[in-house]
Amino acid sequence: VPAGGASLRPCSTRVTLEGVNRPVIDRIIRVDHAGEYGANRIYAGQMAVLGRSSVGPLIQQMWDQEKDHLKKFNELMVVYRVRPTVLLPFWNVAGFVLGAGSALLGKKGAMACTVAVEESISDHYNSQIRTLMEEDPEKYKELLQIIKQFRDDEREHHDIGLEHDAEA
Amino acid sequence: AAAAAAAGGLRRAGWRLWRGRAVVRCQLSPPRRALQASAVLRRVADEQKEPLASSPQQQFDSHPTDHQPEQEPQGPRPSYTGQGGQESEDYESEEQLQHRILTAALEFVPEHGWTAEAIAEGAKTLGLSVAAAGMFHSDGSELILHFVSQCNTKLSELLEQEQKQVQLGEAEKKPTDQFLRDAVEARLRMLIPYIEKWPQALSILLLPHNIPSSLNLLTSMIDDIWHYAGDQSTDFNWYTRRAVLTGIYNTTELVMMQDSSPDFEETWRFLENRVADAMNMGNTANQVQSTGEAVVQGLMGAAVTVSNAETSRAVR
Repeated sequence: VPAGGASLRPCSTRVTLEGVNRPVIDRIIRVDHAGEYGANRIYAGQMAVLGRSSVGPLIQQMWDQEKDHLKKFNELMVVYRVRPTVLLPFWNVAGFVLGAGSALLGKKGAMACTVAVEESISDHYNSQIRTLMEEDPEKYKELLQIIKQFRDDEREHHDIGLEHDAEA
Repeated sequence: AAAAAAAGGLRRAGWRLWRGRAVVRCQLSPPRRALQASAVLRRVADEQKEPLASSPQQQFDSHPTDHQPEQEPQGPRPSYTGQGGQESEDYESEEQLQHRILTAALEFVPEHGWTAEAIAEGAKTLGLSVAAAGMFHSDGSELILHFVSQCNTKLSELLEQEQKQVQLGEAEKKPTDQFLRDAVEARLRMLIPYIEKWPQALSILLLPHNIPSSLNLLTSMIDDIWHYAGDQSTDFNWYTRRAVLTGIYNTTELVMMQDSSPDFEETWRFLENRVADAMNMGNTANQVQSTGEAVVQGLMGAAVTVSNAETSRAVR
């Protein structure tokens, strides 16, 4: 699959798009991209407040994973020629405020926020996986793989949040 | 029911205003549905799964061929290229027939304008009765939309060709501003044979019932140009760039309408200036941001210094 290099537009873009259910895939990628972007900003907000505390490294670790997710969706967005959501500037601010706000409530607050967010993200990914499986598991194999992987990562974050929520 | 389908169509078309690569087809109403004012534009690969598409289908069962082409999974390219292989017999769908008539009608536009007369003449050259023009709206909307869609397809093919050449190393990759200039020029040049009648077409495209379709065509063309220019933005720049290019395209088109210089030199010079402005805008924005950041850093430094001074004074 073309990785979308800096100067070369993959000429197989057109081939990839043949027979793809554009509305469904567009929506999936756009929403996921927005979600990862928002998650990034949430962790950034949490780090801004709790970066130097004992949970700092943990949050940093989860944030780094989210950054990877975002990078992946950026690539997918280019390959499938999906437009980004117009609400990006809003998620930018809202995410940061949510992260910082929950962190100001203390470590427990930050972890509770993480748990809630990750819970809804993994539910969301699950329903997307269901949709894609209903459509055509073979055609969307790669996308399915990516989403499954990310869903597992988010679940992990959720579990980490639960662990520390109870302790802190 | 017809009104509901029309409203549904408009809603769908409006929803897809910013959709990339929206390949558009005019789905034209047969005489029975002539009351439906707007042409419902659809994307080929879209409609197979959308539930909204099924409601007109249920009510107009006697015209199954209108919808059958959408049932087969097809690529983004519409059936303009005559891939009428859905039925096993040598039967041409109504849609394909309409495309053929409209394409034939374009020849008569310089003489008759974007009107039913041109369509009638076009039908005649295909050996059909002039009454075939009755299939279409009387204001020539479908003819214009068909033409625009055809031009956009030609442009995409041209850009695809150029891209292949660059990838094969046969051509140099153009800098962005030149690429945009050339793409817009190539697209506008397609208007030259019809330039006398183009202002009329523009005003028809601005009629309320045509706006969803014409906007859809415009945005997908602009998105195509940026795609081939190598735009890979995934942030708000995506919107900014397209908005800027749309502005450039529209103003250049208007200038072209009033240009009487040889081979439209004035227009291309205008285009060059606008594209240069747009490039500068990017630089200016960066400069403003850097200046802003520097100022903020200066203020932070000043604040820290003051607070340190206060602290040390308090300690003493």
